[in-house]
Amino acid sequence: MRVARWGPDLLLGARMALAGGRSGLVRAALTALGVGLGVALLLTAVSIPAMMQARDDRGAARDDLSYEPPIPQADNTVLVGWAESRFGDQPIRGRVLRPEGPRAPVPPGLAALPRPGEVVVSPALGRLLASPEGALLRDRLAYPVVGTIADEGLLGPTELAFYLGSDDLTATDGMVIRRDHFGEVNTREGLDPVLALLVVIIFVVLLLPVGLFVASAIRFGGESRDRRLAGVRLVGADVGMARRIAAGEAGLSALLGVAVGFGLFYLGRSFVGGISALNISVFPSDLRPDPLLSLAIAVAVPAAAIGVTIMSLRRVVIEPLGVVRRGGDAKRRLWWRLVLPVLGLALLAPLTGSLTQESGTLNQTQVTIGVCLILVGVATLLPWVVQAVVRRLRGGPVPWQLAIRRLQLDGSTSARAVTGIAVAVAGAIGLQMLFASVEGNYQASTGQDPGRAQIAVNMVLRNGWTDVAAIEARLRDAPGVLGARSYSSAPLTFPASPEQRALGGEDPMSSLTIASCDTIRELTEASTCADGDVFLVPDPTRPADETPAAGTTVRIRSYDDVAPGAAWTLPTTARTVTARTDPGGGSLTGVLATPSAVPAAVRDGLDTYQGYLRVDPARADVADQVRNAAWQVNPLGTVSVLSRFVETNRFTQIRRGLYIGAALTLLLIGASLLVTMLEQLRDRRRLLAALVAFGTRRRTLAWSILWQSAVPVMLGLVLATAAGLTLGTVLLRIVNETVSVDWGIIATMSGLAAGVVLLVTALSTPVLFRLMRADGLRTE
Amino acid sequence: MTTDALLVGTDLHKAYGPTPALAGASLSLRAGEIVAVMGPSGSGKSTLLHCLAGIVAPDTGSVTYAGRAVDRMSDVERSALRRADFGFIFQFGQLVPELTCLENVALPLRLDGMKRRAAEARAADWLVQLEVSDVAHKLPGQISGGQGQRVAVARSLVTRPAVIFADEPTGALDSLNGEKVMQLLTTAARDTRAAVVLVTHEPRVAAYADREVVVRDGAARDLTRVDVAGRAA
Repeated sequence: MRVARWGPDLLLGARMALAGGRSGLVRAALTALGVGLGVALLLTAVSIPAMMQARDDRGAARDDLSYEPPIPQADNTVLVGWAESRFGDQPIRGRVLRPEGPRAPVPPGLAALPRPGEVVVSPALGRLLASPEGALLRDRLAYPVVGTIADEGLLGPTELAFYLGSDDLTATDGMVIRRDHFGEVNTREGLDPVLALLVVIIFVVLLLPVGLFVASAIRFGGESRDRRLAGVRLVGADVGMARRIAAGEAGLSALLGVAVGFGLFYLGRSFVGGISALNISVFPSDLRPDPLLSLAIAVAVPAAAIGVTIMSLRRVVIEPLGVVRRGGDAKRRLWWRLVLPVLGLALLAPLTGSLTQESGTLNQTQVTIGVCLILVGVATLLPWVVQAVVRRLRGGPVPWQLAIRRLQLDGSTSARAVTGIAVAVAGAIGLQMLFASVEGNYQASTGQDPGRAQIAVNMVLRNGWTDVAAIEARLRDAPGVLGARSYSSAPLTFPASPEQRALGGEDPMSSLTIASCDTIRELTEASTCADGDVFLVPDPTRPADETPAAGTTVRIRSYDDVAPGAAWTLPTTARTVTARTDPGGGSLTGVLATPSAVPAAVRDGLDTYQGYLRVDPARADVADQVRNAAWQVNPLGTVSVLSRFVETNRFTQIRRGLYIGAALTLLLIGASLLVTMLEQLRDRRRLLAALVAFGTRRRTLAWSILWQSAVPVMLGLVLATAAGLTLGTVLLRIVNETVSVDWGIIATMSGLAAGVVLLVTALSTPVLFRLMRADGLRTE
Repeated sequence: MTTDALLVGTDLHKAYGPTPALAGASLSLRAGEIVAVMGPSGSGKSTLLHCLAGIVAPDTGSVTYAGRAVDRMSDVERSALRRADFGFIFQFGQLVPELTCLENVALPLRLDGMKRRAAEARAADWLVQLEVSDVAHKLPGQISGGQGQRVAVARSLVTRPAVIFADEPTGALDSLNGEKVMQLLTTAARDTRAAVVLVTHEPRVAAYADREVVVRDGAARDLTRVDVAGRAA
């Protein structure tokens, strides 16, 4: 019987959600918008696996790396040269293609291979080349653009990529691979356990506030709803009916919110193609929410709305005579609020020391539930903390008194509004601690020394040492280049010693490097050097007999290791010196010789150019100027800006994801706070007008409203910091890292959250001042 | 209109959008005088009160208080005037729900810069005079409508205003409580020599006034005065 009553009551509530004229519609629209924003974010979250999969699939389909043995030239092969480049801080994926027969494969996204000297570009690169900003890049890619790479050949819509046709690319020009097809090799690293933990926590930290936001949005317009319910009681509804009617109202608003959320998601999806965040972009078609999870969202949000409404009405006494009396802000119990975080800690504690980068299996369920419980604990503890603290506050100036008394009377509304911020901050602090600590593991020290040189250039030589002077001159001519040191190298072999032969060893390999005396002094500890000198630089990590001795006849090996190289007997005057770390972080070993010491045939066999450039740091485009100069010599050359550290790719991507997600979450919470505050102000319109009537200053009320938000936010931040530090400590113990606290991060997160409150207050102040007009006193 | 008038509104016009609320209304008030402003709903009674109190500025016409042109004052000056010299009572009390009754009564004094203890001491005296000292530490939601309105009267008197503006002060009360509130209000006003502008549509309430002013036709074009001085004394 009672169940049978639910249907009509819920339906009546649903009808009432849209009743009440303009204010009713505004209320329903605000709720639908709030819930819709949350739903849109949830849909985005459940689209991420499919989005990553689609990017990976396209990346794998165009992959031209091969770990297979080299294949012979045939009519179905193509030479693929890697011409990776950058423009400013944007990476450019470039490939030079030379078909070796009529059946040469075509990469995905291309209708046909470009003809020699012609280029096919991605839409984003096409736009960049056509724009004034791309002027410098036009100098590099000065080829006729004959086509556009289709979506299936790109990772994302803003990716910069090109395919350049060639008829003179050879296998020895640099990073050149012969392929008879594209794709099938998946180079995905897979997440190690620690990174997997980070990803799980990021999802929890970002999605939990969204859930709280949705729960908060469902309560928009709560006070006017209570007045409506009192009216329903007056005409004969009992308490149960009133609650079911309220649940129906919330259910319909949430359903509208789900519809709005799906609408916002698909609307936003159509614009996502034009957005690039930190060099990551996605095609609208990649954002495909998982159907089952989408269904779960569509069902769970209205169900949660009904549940939250019924819960929130537990302590509200709805009486028929238009009066709604709350049962008072009853003293909250602490014990069950502590159970959640304690349970969370209990779940995470056994995992202490269980993960390292190399080993361990992440129990995702246990970690997710543990972290969730700790963070939900923040949400449940906050109302208790707010109540316990504000009930002890007394005195103070009028704005403070008004705010504190409001919080004493009903602190839960404000506490609820800031719960999202507190949870986000707690999660972010925990996460940042984990990041800061494991960051060192994922930041490889390059050993590079930007103090000695800032840019390194590396490319294959076609004519040996003869080319070096011309290349260096061209690089020196690039605007912003202050100086250059160059050398040229090639591998060499020399006869094995009798001992090595006895052990069945092959002829040892070493390398020959030709450089000027200035460069040799830069690369070795040689105290003196004159043209004609030869130096032997042993590799301290290898046996001594792997470095040729003076008087040994060595033979240059060609790049493709097919044609026999020229031979040269090392002079007996060759001196042994120790290597010095070069600006690129490496050290040259083997034979180092000045140019005149080496026979011309050997010099001509050198195949690698390496240059270190000193550049003007004040010139922002210097790296692109050097890239342009290097491109003119060999498009497959590499130009690197030297840096002491480099982050591994996965870590960078995860951190980018966190920043993007945190920004979205904070914006969402800010919107929630704003709506809540505007609703509170609207409900107090008459009181505000009355206060103004007897002379209350505007700033008094403005300060009162600021305090009313700021006090719970401050308490929330204190709680969030404590919870965040606890969470961070536990997580660091799981991954076996030393616990250390970065107070700067805590200050930043707290500052950001406080900034959101100030922004919300600033945005709501005009409304406050409007509501303080005498219109609010009119009763007719 | 007399020369010893404390508050004078002359030829007041006020429109809300295309709807005229006042069209040439005039009213003067002597110190200690209680004037009932009567009229049907929508006639402009409350707008007249708001213009006289400096809550809204008239479109045209003038308001002078103790020789000072209220309509030419800045918003800050008018707010200061309302804090110091005027008191207000509204139909639903409009007490701040989160402050106790004592704190509500002390609020105008505190807004005017008085220290909390001193303000609450004076507020307590007024609660005694209005016979609601027993609810001093209760919240407005915990007391009856009649008690709440008496607290509102105490709040309007606590600054010892020269003029009290009462907009339907008994509109939400039953007749018994209404009578009680009016007795206490008029007695306290006469004791403190405060003038009262009493907006009402109830003749029974208007009977407490020294004279009645009737606002008609919603546009206040025709202001009728009925001198009933001494009737309620």
